[in-house]
Amino acid sequence: MSASLLILIPLLPLIGFLINGIGFKTIPKGAVGIIGTLAVVASFVISVMTFNDFVASGSQPLVVPLFEWITVGDLRIPFSFQIDQLSLLMLMIITGVGSLIHIYSIGYMHHDEGFGKFFAYLNLFLFFMLLLVLGSNYVIMFIGWEGVGLCSYLLIGFWNKNTNYNNTARKAFIMNRVGDLGFLLGIFTIIATFGSVEYTEVFAQASSFSLEDPVIVTICLFLFIGAMGKSAQIPLYTWLPDAMAGPTPVSALIHAATMVTAGIYMVIRSNVLYSLAPSALEIVGIIGGLTAIFAASIGLLQNDIKKVLAYSTVSQLGYMFMGLGAMAYSASMFHVITHAFFKALLFLGAGSVIHAMSDEQDIRNMGGLRKKLPITFITFLIATIAIAGIPPFAGFFSKDEILAHVFEHNKLLWVIGVIGSLMTSFYMFRLLFLTFFGNFRGTHEQEHHLHESPASMTIPLVILAVLSAVGGFIGVPEALHGSHHLAEFMSPLYDAARQANPAGFEPTTLSHSEEYLLMGVSVAVALISAVVAYVMYVQKASVPAPDSAEKSGLQRLVYNKYYVDELYDNVFVKSTKTLSNILYSFGEFFIDLFVNAAVRLTSFSAKMLRKTQTGSTGDYVFAMVLGIVAILFWKLLL
Amino acid sequence: MYPIVLLSFFGIVTLFLGFSKSKNILLPATLLFLIIALAGNFLEWNKGPLLYFYDMLRVDNVTLAFNGIILLSAFMIFAISGGFQDNPDSEPAEYFGLMLFSLVGALMMVGFQHLIMLFIGVEILSVAMYVLTGSNKRNLRSNEAALKYFLMGAFATGFMLFGITLLYGATGSFKLEQIQGFASNMQVGSESYILYAGLLLLLIGMLFKVSAAPFHFWTPDVYEGAPTIFTTFMSTVVKTAGFAALFRLLSGSFTGVYGFWWIVIAAIAVLTLLVGNIGATSQNSFKRMLAYSGISHAGYLLIALTALSKPSQNAIIFYSLAYSLSTICAFGVLMLVSKEKTIGGQPNEYYDAFNGLAKQNPLLAFVLTVSMLSLAGIPLTAGFWGKFFIFTSAAERGIIWITVIAVLMSTVGIYYYFRVIISSYLKEGDLVKIRVAPFYKVILVLATFLTILFGLAPGIFEGLI
Repeated sequence: MSASLLILIPLLPLIGFLINGIGFKTIPKGAVGIIGTLAVVASFVISVMTFNDFVASGSQPLVVPLFEWITVGDLRIPFSFQIDQLSLLMLMIITGVGSLIHIYSIGYMHHDEGFGKFFAYLNLFLFFMLLLVLGSNYVIMFIGWEGVGLCSYLLIGFWNKNTNYNNTARKAFIMNRVGDLGFLLGIFTIIATFGSVEYTEVFAQASSFSLEDPVIVTICLFLFIGAMGKSAQIPLYTWLPDAMAGPTPVSALIHAATMVTAGIYMVIRSNVLYSLAPSALEIVGIIGGLTAIFAASIGLLQNDIKKVLAYSTVSQLGYMFMGLGAMAYSASMFHVITHAFFKALLFLGAGSVIHAMSDEQDIRNMGGLRKKLPITFITFLIATIAIAGIPPFAGFFSKDEILAHVFEHNKLLWVIGVIGSLMTSFYMFRLLFLTFFGNFRGTHEQEHHLHESPASMTIPLVILAVLSAVGGFIGVPEALHGSHHLAEFMSPLYDAARQANPAGFEPTTLSHSEEYLLMGVSVAVALISAVVAYVMYVQKASVPAPDSAEKSGLQRLVYNKYYVDELYDNVFVKSTKTLSNILYSFGEFFIDLFVNAAVRLTSFSAKMLRKTQTGSTGDYVFAMVLGIVAILFWKLLL
Repeated sequence: MYPIVLLSFFGIVTLFLGFSKSKNILLPATLLFLIIALAGNFLEWNKGPLLYFYDMLRVDNVTLAFNGIILLSAFMIFAISGGFQDNPDSEPAEYFGLMLFSLVGALMMVGFQHLIMLFIGVEILSVAMYVLTGSNKRNLRSNEAALKYFLMGAFATGFMLFGITLLYGATGSFKLEQIQGFASNMQVGSESYILYAGLLLLLIGMLFKVSAAPFHFWTPDVYEGAPTIFTTFMSTVVKTAGFAALFRLLSGSFTGVYGFWWIVIAAIAVLTLLVGNIGATSQNSFKRMLAYSGISHAGYLLIALTALSKPSQNAIIFYSLAYSLSTICAFGVLMLVSKEKTIGGQPNEYYDAFNGLAKQNPLLAFVLTVSMLSLAGIPLTAGFWGKFFIFTSAAERGIIWITVIAVLMSTVGIYYYFRVIISSYLKEGDLVKIRVAPFYKVILVLATFLTILFGLAPGIFEGLI
């Protein structure tokens, strides 16, 4: 694969951004959508070509240097791209799902006045996301990391005339900054330890460290703090549900399929480091498990269609980290892929519903939509089955693989995982039944307006539905007499880690019958939840109580998201404000004193200098002569 | 070597072109000449050190890089001169001819290997500049500036020539290599004092040309009085050539007596930084501020000279390029704006002329902003890396204290560079939409683009040298 073609993958969205970003006032609407979409589709095509070339040429990872970027002392940071199994898989997800969501947005955002701005931001986001996964060192990853954070901010606050939306955008940005600080510290520690940020050099040097070396554990924990921010893990998860203020395609692309998985990408990318630090992985697994069950429990009682999906995303990300904690890197990547399919589909389906309901998002006001929105309904159903983990749909295979690894690793986490998947299945079917079954509960006007979405929106839904249905077959476990293509494909990525920590990569000790049992448990749990949800919301046709109704203590606690936002507000926000007020009232005096003194000094000497500039040539020459005499006297006579 | 021969010839051709009635052909022809010279310059790329004219001129990649910057700056300046068509008094053929000749002088200063060559180069460049400074014949300030520049320049030239003489007396040669051989093996004695005195006087002459303090007094008056287009030329081409010559002189002949001269350069650098930066803060005229800013940039470049190493050589090259690009942008926008707003028939070059620039002319405001950011050394612009490379080269030599002063002074720089940004974006003004010729726009955008490109990826440039 030639470098010039490779560079086009991120460059095309950037060009799209520049065209739409600079000319969005003048370019006609039709052209904006086409330019934005074409840029991404073309980059998808090139990604596929790259993928084929890579497989055809024997799956050899390669680093493509583009130019010398920063050289400071001994630290050399080239600008180069790394092509290997991991970056290729991410490329395919980002550009593939990205293309579908761009097509969908043409329909979804059609009536919005910020149409051109929207496409420009989306393209910019893809550029940074591609940079994040293509870079061959941590610094390029960081640039991408910050870039996607910026785009996420811009898109959450896309409807910037609404102050609430702006505040949620800010919240997302600030929470991410907390994580970014950890990431930065991680990079600095890497530089201090290895003297390089290039993946190949860092990992080659890391292999010679012993297991549980404190430096490596520190680096891993720092990097994980970054991942917590971006991938919305406890305690930095509260921004993601609020991020739903952005347009729905944004939620699908950024806050479900791609950006939030950057943390998982980072951990898998650094698998050599993490494999050397099992204690850090333990923490990753525990945080993941807690997030999975915690977010799922909040999802049980939410009534906003997008909020449910948002908590579901947080919870699914928790599963991925749980898998990483058990060193099941491929299984987590598998879940990233399948999750990208079905969660993007769920969000786009939700978008289709919201579109039809004239911007209504409360599921208490929906119901019976399956007749009016047949395509949306069927695709949404498929996605629900997939996320619930019912075979043979995609989610089953990936979630089951993670749970099997977790079972081997830590039985308690496995129990948490199973309870989480029980909840997942319940809240998803609850959402499905409340939205698409029963009788319509909205206003008359909304009912009159109900319609299936245009083709540009339904075609992406159908494609994603097919992927959600069959996507799991790239990784069928051996126990089911399939072959795990994905694990085989990704296996070379862990060569170095395998050497460094052979114990972590031993083949499974579970017998086939044990595996069947585990699968049986998770499927049974999912089915039971689905049936319970059916009984509650279809047979009994109960509808969640309105906000004004009295709730029991536990219900209130869960409904209000365990008051975590309020807790953060009291502990962090208020105390920071108090501190800054103190500093403002007292510290400012000293700073002003210093600054004003510097200003006075400068302006006084400027006044003096002005006087020397008399305009008379005689004076100037005299000053020159004085200078010359001084120099000669100083150097020759003294 | 090619560009020297080519430009001498083209200069004469340009003068003859002036006889034709139509002035329209002059500008395209001159631009073409410069492109040919630029192409000719890079014909010798990587051909290794070549010596010409009885070993008086040396061509290597460093020479070619400096030449490239000088010719590129000249090309951009010619391109935004607009052929002087709006001024009936002007004599474009003469101006262009003189500028081409002065370029020959600049190129000689870059490549000299023999002190006589240096002297001839300096004089060719300077005499042309004296004339061009006074080219606005009806403007009193322009005349005054030319005379001032000439008188003081002649004074400095005297010192320079005296220095060369003393060096010849001490070493018996004008050639850099032989002076180097002598200076490296010299015993302390009477000859060493003659050599030291010669070196100091020669340096003083050169420091005058690059407007280092306390030999800077001419700079604000001359920069302000000269027509802006020639001010641009002076502050880019002349400065680059001056520093190339200083670097060649010091690295080619006086590395052996580094301990003697570095502290002089360091002291002058500090003085220059103080005068340039503090002087710029009290200016109300944008053009005069740029003159002081030119002095302060000379101070930064002098720091690189005190380090005198391979990294500092690259730093000077990079800095000159970054500085030239931004300066051309700044003066380019100034010319457009000041022509739009006049006071008593003369262009308004004060800060308040820029009030409200961004509203009707977002592109010009953007170009100006980027160039100011680059001059102030804000990251993501080429100017940041220029300063960064210079500071690291000094730090590697162990000269930390001077870096501290330089960083402090560059924070002062932010004050006066940002004033014009504030004027153009935050203040209300009645500037209308300024018509900009397409080619003019292309040059401004190109220079801005390069400033940002080198700011994002300074490695691109480093890979070239």
